[in-house]
Amino acid sequence: MKLNIIYLFAIASLVAASWGCNPDNFQKLDQRNWELVWSDEFNGAAGQVPDATKWTYDIGTGDNGWGNQELQVYTDKPENVAMDGQGNLVITALRTGSSFTSARIKTQDLFGQQYGRFEARLKTPYGPGLWPAFWMLGANIETVSWPQCGEIDIMELRGQEPHIIHGSIHGPGYSAGNAITKGYSLSKARFDTDYNLFAIEWDRDKIDFFVNDFLYQRIARSDVPGEWVYDQPFFIIFNVAVGGTFVGFPTPSTPFPQRMTIDYVRVYQKAN
Amino acid sequence: MKTNIAVRHLFIGFFSLFLLSCERDLSDLKPAAYPTNPEVFIDAFSPGLNYAAFGGSVPTAFDVDTEVTYKNTSLASMRFEVPDAGDPRGAYAGGAFFTSVGRDLSGYDALTFWAKASQAANIDIIGFGNDLGASKYQAIISGLAVNTNWQKYIIPLPDPAKLTAERGMFFYSEGPENGRGYTFWIDELTFEKLGTLAHPQHAILNGEDQVETSFIGVSKTIGGLSSTFNLPTGINQSLNVAPAYFTFTSSNESVATVSESGVVRVVGGPGSAKITATLGGVPAKGSLTIQSLGNFQSAPIPTRSPDKVISIFSDAYNDVPVDYYNGFWQPFQTTLSADFTVNNDRILHYTDFNFVGIQFSSPTINATSMTHLHLDIYFPNPLTTNARFKIELVNFVSGGTGAFTTTIPATQSQQWISLDIPLSSFAGLSGRANLAQIIFVDDNNSISSFYADNIYFYNGSSSPLAPTNPAPLPTHPAANVISVFSDSYAAIPSTDLNPNWGQATVVTQVGIQGNNTLRYGGLNYQGIQLGSPQNITGMGFLHLDFWTANSNALSVYIISPGPVETASVLTVPTSGWSSVDIPLSAFAPVNLSNVIQLKFEGNGDIYLDNIYFRR
Repeated sequence: MKLNIIYLFAIASLVAASWGCNPDNFQKLDQRNWELVWSDEFNGAAGQVPDATKWTYDIGTGDNGWGNQELQVYTDKPENVAMDGQGNLVITALRTGSSFTSARIKTQDLFGQQYGRFEARLKTPYGPGLWPAFWMLGANIETVSWPQCGEIDIMELRGQEPHIIHGSIHGPGYSAGNAITKGYSLSKARFDTDYNLFAIEWDRDKIDFFVNDFLYQRIARSDVPGEWVYDQPFFIIFNVAVGGTFVGFPTPSTPFPQRMTIDYVRVYQKAN
Repeated sequence: MKTNIAVRHLFIGFFSLFLLSCERDLSDLKPAAYPTNPEVFIDAFSPGLNYAAFGGSVPTAFDVDTEVTYKNTSLASMRFEVPDAGDPRGAYAGGAFFTSVGRDLSGYDALTFWAKASQAANIDIIGFGNDLGASKYQAIISGLAVNTNWQKYIIPLPDPAKLTAERGMFFYSEGPENGRGYTFWIDELTFEKLGTLAHPQHAILNGEDQVETSFIGVSKTIGGLSSTFNLPTGINQSLNVAPAYFTFTSSNESVATVSESGVVRVVGGPGSAKITATLGGVPAKGSLTIQSLGNFQSAPIPTRSPDKVISIFSDAYNDVPVDYYNGFWQPFQTTLSADFTVNNDRILHYTDFNFVGIQFSSPTINATSMTHLHLDIYFPNPLTTNARFKIELVNFVSGGTGAFTTTIPATQSQQWISLDIPLSSFAGLSGRANLAQIIFVDDNNSISSFYADNIYFYNGSSSPLAPTNPAPLPTHPAANVISVFSDSYAAIPSTDLNPNWGQATVVTQVGIQGNNTLRYGGLNYQGIQLGSPQNITGMGFLHLDFWTANSNALSVYIISPGPVETASVLTVPTSGWSSVDIPLSAFAPVNLSNVIQLKFEGNGDIYLDNIYFRR
């Protein structure tokens, strides 16, 4: 409920600030002319692992559960990450007793881009303690570390609220619990039952967050309480975490296995 | 009950008025639509809603509460008072809320409500679809956890499309928690279109793929029906649902058919048919594969006279009360039951067999007049080795457990095997007046499953139950005899042959070819009070003639004041009359100068004659 209210408030403030009083008006965005520069359609055979020229893996448990007390062990095994043979990549979180395995794939050192449109069409997992994400990190993370590198979360979801996604950015002075974030809630529907298109459109002035091409959040350069660190290439990450500070822990009644099913991921640049 | 059960006619009244005041073109008439009102109880009974308490429940358990309500913003809630165990008004709280006219609920996907309780508890049953009639579309949640906070609960509708004229709006049943009663409240009870119920999973047979060997004429009801939805909170909620939600299909209707209510009938064979189901177009997990062997071969029909039979399980006789045919004795028993009825003949079917017990303890069976245990068994699966089939009989009061093991040749699978086992063959069974259990054991792990029929005790003795000839005529001179009972001697005057010592024995005297004979029917114990104390120190023996066909325990006692008594065991059953002369020294330490009583103990029917002391 709380997030619904936040969302309504967000529309109201956007409307008030930018486009006047009719909610329909604020969706009349400028015409864009995007040019596809990179994509993965995930059209491999069933069981095939991700294209090694595009994707690499995070393996293991990271430091303190990838900084978030997450419970899962990431692997590169096909049981955790593989094509389904029907045009999708599936990341599967598995429970064995009280331990969990899952996968986290990324384009780090293989592909990154500054500005443009980043989108993925996917179906989320569900259930208390499930934390799927489609997100990006600044490519300079190895040299400046987090949160100085910047983080753009295009889609995060708490499995116990399968009708709400969140779009966020983390940077110096506004990370973790102080990130700039907004929820988007479906009415009488859920993100785990059908494919939805999650996207950001990013330029030097702002980052716009979309669900099914509906703009639900705009974060302008001037909105950020700290340094704007989004003027460098970012790389893409998909993962399904289990447990952690954002989502809480899975319960004995959380259904497993859980799958994030990704139809495609595409990256565009503004055409001249 | 009072106001709560009163029928709310208001709604119907409005409806009728409306119809009467309209003129309509008959050609426009469409089938009457049922009302779509989603509300069951918001602040009061919704129009047309009735309440009836279930039989045996506390009739006043439900009431409308205007004090405790959801968020205290609602005007009234539904209050349910669960009684303590032993409450004379009823054992539980339970009842149904139903409408007289059905409602069209097909536009909703859940029944929702807010609830809290005076303590944390699990409500045994809560659901909808109970119309106090056929309850065709019943769906229930078992063990719903509630606590002292108001929380919203969701009962998914398994298939809203079916609920176009539903009368069962809500029902519940809850007993005491750990013997104690408590109170729970429900408010804002309404059907809703949530749109956020996801990932429906349905199951028949608890989601198992079962395979059964069967026969023409066998019928079986598909059970284990459930429907599971993922709630908006991401967790799954399962319901037990009525068969009418499912569409059942047989892969081969020439072998087995399945009805709308999930009753499978084997109609042909040899051959196989797989029974599957869908709910709302979603395939259900679980299936039943019938492997029909064709016509059922019935067990041989019993021919023994009912008056010589005590039946545990047979359609040929009236069975005695049986507690259960499968005790599911945990933790070591694996045996399940898949009993079936074929051509009106009930058959016990034990699957996953290791051992299984049948109990008949209230009352136990007195089989002292029986000689054999009969049972027909059938191994439907081929035996890979000779099977050792062990049968145990358990006597509850005393007598312990007797065991008998028979070897069934591997070639005798898939045919009825009739066993007639003498009760004397059950090694270790010393008494059978209180038989309470029959246990079957797979003694060499060779039997996966078996059918059983016609389990009964019977009296198969070819000898009569009464002697046809009198006891041998005594030859001792009267001067050497002190007689208690005999036609040949004068007995001790005033001797009481049937003193009331609380015994169950029925004492009669019967004439056998004119010879007066003492009969103890259904002996447990029986005394004889001598007419006067006797000094028998001058005597050497106690003489007895006795006859019994069905006793397996018999002792005789001599008693002097104290009482001081000593038994002498007699060998039974007899073949014809047994005559014994027991040395009186065997009765030490009884005071032989002051003998006052005799006593018999044992079982069965005993004939006695020529009871006397002699030199």
